[in-house]
Amino acid sequence: MVNLTIDGKQVAVEKDATIYDAAKACGIKIPILCHDKKLHPFGGCRMCLVEVEQMKGRLIPACTTPVTEGMIVQTTTDEIVKARKLVLELLLLKHPIDCPVCDAAGDCDLQNLTYEYKVNMNRFVDEKFNHEIDYENPLIERDMNRCIHCGKCARICDEIVSYGAYTFINRGIEAKMGTEFDGPLNCEFCGSCVSVCPVGALNSRPFKFKARWWALQKTKSVCSYCGTGCQLTLGSKDGKVLTTIYDENQGFHNGQLCTRGRFGYQFVNSEKRLTAPLVRKNGKLQEATWEEALAEVTSRLSAGKSDPASVAALATARLTNEELFLFEKLFRGTVGTDNIDHSAGYAHEALTKGALASFGVAASPAEIADIQKSSQLLVVKSDAYETHPVIGFEINLGVKRKGVALRIVSDKKGKLTRLPGAKTTVHAPGSEVALFNALCKSVIDQGLAAEGVAGLDALKAAVADASAEKAGVTAEEIAAIAKEFASAEKGLIILPIGLGYPGHNAALANAAANLAILTGQVGKEGAGLLIMGEKNNSQGAVDMGIYPKATGLNAQGIIDGCTSGNIKTLFVAGENPVVSYPNRKKVEKALENVEFMVVSDLFLTETAALADVVLPACSFAEKSGTFTSLGRRVQNVRKAIPAIGLAKSDFEILNALSQSLGGARYNNQGEVFTEIAATVPAYKGLTQAGLKDEGAVYPVAVAAKLVPAAAKSAAPAAGKLALVTGSALYHCGTMSRFGEGPMYVCPDAYAELNVADAAALKIVEGDQVTVTSGTGAVLVAAKVGKRVPQGVVFSPYHFGEGSVNTITDGSEVTYVTVAKK
Amino acid sequence: MIMPLIKGLQITISHMFKKPVTLQYPTERPDVKPGFRGLHALNVSHDKAKCVACYLCPTVCPAKCITVEAGEDQNHDKYAAKYEIDMLRCIFCGYCVEACPVDAIRMTEQFELANYSRADFTYTKDRLLEKK
Repeated sequence: MVNLTIDGKQVAVEKDATIYDAAKACGIKIPILCHDKKLHPFGGCRMCLVEVEQMKGRLIPACTTPVTEGMIVQTTTDEIVKARKLVLELLLLKHPIDCPVCDAAGDCDLQNLTYEYKVNMNRFVDEKFNHEIDYENPLIERDMNRCIHCGKCARICDEIVSYGAYTFINRGIEAKMGTEFDGPLNCEFCGSCVSVCPVGALNSRPFKFKARWWALQKTKSVCSYCGTGCQLTLGSKDGKVLTTIYDENQGFHNGQLCTRGRFGYQFVNSEKRLTAPLVRKNGKLQEATWEEALAEVTSRLSAGKSDPASVAALATARLTNEELFLFEKLFRGTVGTDNIDHSAGYAHEALTKGALASFGVAASPAEIADIQKSSQLLVVKSDAYETHPVIGFEINLGVKRKGVALRIVSDKKGKLTRLPGAKTTVHAPGSEVALFNALCKSVIDQGLAAEGVAGLDALKAAVADASAEKAGVTAEEIAAIAKEFASAEKGLIILPIGLGYPGHNAALANAAANLAILTGQVGKEGAGLLIMGEKNNSQGAVDMGIYPKATGLNAQGIIDGCTSGNIKTLFVAGENPVVSYPNRKKVEKALENVEFMVVSDLFLTETAALADVVLPACSFAEKSGTFTSLGRRVQNVRKAIPAIGLAKSDFEILNALSQSLGGARYNNQGEVFTEIAATVPAYKGLTQAGLKDEGAVYPVAVAAKLVPAAAKSAAPAAGKLALVTGSALYHCGTMSRFGEGPMYVCPDAYAELNVADAAALKIVEGDQVTVTSGTGAVLVAAKVGKRVPQGVVFSPYHFGEGSVNTITDGSEVTYVTVAKK
Repeated sequence: MIMPLIKGLQITISHMFKKPVTLQYPTERPDVKPGFRGLHALNVSHDKAKCVACYLCPTVCPAKCITVEAGEDQNHDKYAAKYEIDMLRCIFCGYCVEACPVDAIRMTEQFELANYSRADFTYTKDRLLEKK
């Protein structure tokens, strides 16, 4: 620790702290424009000038000067104020004073400082900039005339997002923030640059002119897209969510968001939202009252009580813990059926079966904070970035700042593979389990296994026939990965799961867990296995027991049961099986066949259109509750706006049904959380009030065990391409389709091909191609690149038109032929 | 008994022949003094309302009677797509005029604001635009 005096206050800080950090630690505010706590010090704006007794004669920038023992610092003297005023005057010389029409006004650092330092006149005169303003981009508007050259946008894009869309171009007075060749912005559109811009040079275009900053009601909540559990602040006005507000003190990610979190909120106030219940009359869905709709559902469910096996229920992992708990209680308890599930059954298997068998708990032993504490990351699929972009930022930071070594095993390349020092192993599609088995074998063969691991012999026998060839990788590479992971001080495996990855099942979780256990990486900080659920509350859905526990049918079984007629009543809360479950034709047929189907959803989805009763539900912005993110963090979701139209939250719907069916009734969702804390062991002792803003990571007692995992041998079909599915960076599940932001940048389904395959098939980028498998055929746009290896096609699953589940059947890899239309 | 009545009538009759002390509105019009705060008007420049929809007037308005909604025109400039004053709530304090950074709103000398229905007291942008 270093001791110093700032404005007469004694303060002790770490030796790598700067004067700015030290002042902040003792509550003294030094004005800044170019500094950001997430970024490396830059020292460009000279607003933070301070006086240091030991360096008299000149003013010192606080944000770049490290503290030294005995330093005596003055942060506000007349001379300093004069210098800061001069800095502001010089900035205002070029900065247009268009605050009345600038959306940053109210939240503008330059405006606030100008006011604070009373800069009401300027000694200098000059012409303003006359740069062309980029109005074309649908998400980020760039007005470089307002830019004050702090460079934050370029630095955040480089340091944290690792994209590098911006840089300073030109020199001297002509210097400006530019893109490559000064062309249009063509990046990931995460909007990090917009969030850190201290002025209005970079603006969110969907929010342009919508409201002034001070008129927005700010509600701290949690993003409802992926399982990362990013906290965000919703800016709402007059019952509409208008934007997401950046708050650098929120969450583990310091307010960083991805494109969906920042620009995908429009689904909340979409015109397509359902505003009244619909009941099918004479074969057509017609508007009805809540009483009518609920009475119909109640009568069907109470009839089902006498034959519980004929009732089934599917819930989405987007509901809050409270709603899922009530859902489970209603169907497993009151109705008495065990046919409840979510996410096609396989998307949570890695937790409910895999992690449960390997670790004794249906949760990952590692948490998000372990990523940066690790020394060796082993990422399964480069898609970890696409499914969980903010986890991707954590990986970026780990690799670039903390020197974490990164190894990716994937069926294709991706953004993570381009990180400095990243080593990528591209394996044969669908051979993940075989690969991990080969790694385990190699660890054992090289004598790298940790001592005293129980069940080693059984595993040895099980992986005896594992080989590198089965995974399409060379033996040397397997040996190298095994060695680097086993010898790493802290090795962490990152495994994304979800509807797009049928191969990421229990077996893969076991195989990956085996490697972690075998190498002694479980039970340490910064090491182990992090299983990343796809949806915002995937972990919560598992914790609340939304899967068959005894003899009940899983999601696939329920679909089959609908087809065969064994399931007569189906309750679907927010799921969209028609687009997201494998084999669309089969699912559609099943749902058409089922006698009575109720769907509660925000939109009239492809699934809801087949229902007998459709109940309009509330989005995350219209309700309170908790979500449990990957890494087991339970966080508060807060209501920002009143319900749209007549919509009711799933809590209200389930509560009403529960009451009319003779089950429990709760006064509010908070009561349910109290019951969760009392009945779900992991949540013991938690209260919603106690979660505060930061949430709480619930502890797990890991009892690690080696569980042999059988690798399925995928039989490659000659002359066919291997189709692998997954997530597109801009989308999550099927809900992001209703957000304008994601649809601007990624509106349609596509199939990504290798350049060589595309050349052989005479396909060029943008061509409409027919992808045909044994299950069906689908027409999508072609994307050509070097990301996917030869012989592999990649397609994301989110879209209703040209949905990839038309041709998949739930197996790890689908063999397809691709032809130009 | 009768005398006070006659006295009273005397005063009344004498006033019938004096000059009236009050303004004979509406036949006579008052002389409106400078600085009078009457009905608002939106100033026009180059055939366009000067208002840039900065929302400072609704922010400062103590009676919360101003509703502004901004829009983006063809030149990507900000303009007031909606500008409404609820005259029933307005307290004629003139803060809106003071707050306006672009001199887009002023208060006229018009004080006759009586009307027949509540809806007529909602002054939309069209009604507020200064008349040439």
